[in-house]
Amino acid sequence: MGLIEEVFTIELPVGENFRIQRCRYTSPNTEAKKRISIVSGIHGDELEGQYVCFLLGEWLRNNPDKIKGTIDIYPAINSLGIDSITRSIPFYDVDLNRTFPGSKNDFLPAQIADGVVDVMRGSDFAIDIHSSNVFLREIPQVRIAKAQEASLVPLANLLNIDFVWVHDAVTVLESTFAHAMNTIGTKTLVVEMGVGMRLGHAYGHQLLKGILNLMAHEGIIESKPLDVRFPIQSHVGEVAYLNASCPGLFVPAIEHCQMITKGSVVGHIVNALSGEVMDEVIAPIGGILFTLRAYPIVYEGSLLGRIFGESE
Amino acid sequence: MRRFDIVTLESPNRAPLRIEGFIFGEENTKAPSVAIVGAMSGDHINQLYVASGLVEYLRIKEEEGKIVGKILVIPAVNAYALNMGEKNWPLDKTDINTMFPGYDQGETTQRIAGRLFETLKGYDYGIILEGRRDQGMCIPYVKLIQSGYEDIESVKDLGIGFVHYRAHEPVETVMLQYNWQLWETKAFSIVFGKNGSIDQGASDEVHMALVRFLSKRGMLDFSVFEGRMSNIIDPNRITILKASRAGIFISNVRCGAHVQKGEVIGKIIDALSGERREKLLSPCEGIVTCQYSHPLIFQNSIAFRIASVELNYVSKD
Ligand SMILES: [Zn+2]
Repeated sequence: MGLIEEVFTIELPVGENFRIQRCRYTSPNTEAKKRISIVSGIHGDELEGQYVCFLLGEWLRNNPDKIKGTIDIYPAINSLGIDSITRSIPFYDVDLNRTFPGSKNDFLPAQIADGVVDVMRGSDFAIDIHSSNVFLREIPQVRIAKAQEASLVPLANLLNIDFVWVHDAVTVLESTFAHAMNTIGTKTLVVEMGVGMRLGHAYGHQLLKGILNLMAHEGIIESKPLDVRFPIQSHVGEVAYLNASCPGLFVPAIEHCQMITKGSVVGHIVNALSGEVMDEVIAPIGGILFTLRAYPIVYEGSLLGRIFGESE
Repeated sequence: MRRFDIVTLESPNRAPLRIEGFIFGEENTKAPSVAIVGAMSGDHINQLYVASGLVEYLRIKEEEGKIVGKILVIPAVNAYALNMGEKNWPLDKTDINTMFPGYDQGETTQRIAGRLFETLKGYDYGIILEGRRDQGMCIPYVKLIQSGYEDIESVKDLGIGFVHYRAHEPVETVMLQYNWQLWETKAFSIVFGKNGSIDQGASDEVHMALVRFLSKRGMLDFSVFEGRMSNIIDPNRITILKASRAGIFISNVRCGAHVQKGEVIGKIIDALSGERREKLLSPCEGIVTCQYSHPLIFQNSIAFRIASVELNYVSKD
């Protein structure tokens, strides 16, 4: 059984505290041991990670004798957001994942960020689970900034995910949790999977297996490495973005996570008022459709999908 | 005056988004050009008010033949958000002022920023009327970030008392001021007021500062009264007074007040029991440049920022 602790608290104006809770599982063995933080809910509208937290907690409760390190589970960082279907920090309307590393001398979101970094400082690993957002559905993937490619890709390959995406970070990503934690020596992986405001059973079990595998490799649990899938590596191909050319209602023609060929129809943008088809969305390259729009209203530029495939 | 659409963007169900610009005067080799950007967020009402007021003012001055350079005013960038009480772009909740320099093949707000930025390039001066990013209110101040292209001399012509001159934060590299500077426009921001409302006094001061700037830079053919001497303030001159408790926040002073060390400048009351939880004492002598503006305050929120002449004060942390 894990120890539930309140690790960050701040008074709210009317008789309540904002709090971050964790459940800590640790082995009684006192020799030097590794620590991992499993994190979700930095965005209040992304809940896939909550299910992974549950599954992992259930596994750890059932296997207390296998715990060799320290496993901290933080299902709800933006707890106000999660309980109010709000992506950002309520009251401030600020994206918490753009306020790291935070500061004690700044507004509430920055103080929360600072508190999060403080409490997780010293973890060897962190896994930050997101579910894209309400607009997009994602296959389980890890996103890594180019600067951290060498240290993080081998770790991501253990996670039983489908895709490892190494991208050129823009400077604004310096304000994310993952960047802040990687900067202070915690190897932090960002998982994106599923879609906002929903749960996917299969993805939750898939990632649980990956987390157990990673922990087995690192000696945090006593277990043989598991038989996990090896993710597609982004450097072997390229990512093509599908952006809407016009506003309307996006109606996909194919399912998420499919192999598609160059020139095939991904979907249509239609006009609900006139009954016209405004645009046919065509795959510019062949490959796997790893992102697909879930929320159908689109403006010009709205992201409709991403395909990972062969370089032209 | 020429009124024109800088950006139009079709919507699935609403009328198209239009970003309108108002051009005064003409390109002129002697006089410089300036572009002034108003409300980028849906809660920047002061900024909208000052920019639209300036349009009306310049319309009259143009009829009087007083405009020498070229002046572009864009009162509202995010009209969609203003019209529905939202802060950010209403569909995907992204902030247009974190999308610069923009990208014409990117997502919607990147495209909006990109098209806007095309129009803004090439002006000699760029002025951004900015709202705050937090729940505060402040006296008008100039925010000038260090990019290597900033021009500290020109901002003194505004006659605004305080110029916050500091290094940029990571998120500011995707904001308009920083990118505008990289494209060699002498860009700066004037931050003022409280979001979601109109502060008449601050708005008047900013209006006068803009007119003064245009006059001093030779874009208006008349003189105006001098403003204040600008104090260049680096972050070390600002003392922060935080609320150590949450509750109802009552301020005893107004932004701009000169306060003494030890002076009671506010208090925090338990929102349920009515007990006084904290007496807020000024930690130093100085000018209150900024204070928390919502009546409900969170623990550790910054209640006051006080600018001092001397550097040796330590914040209450
Ligand atoms: Zn997220």
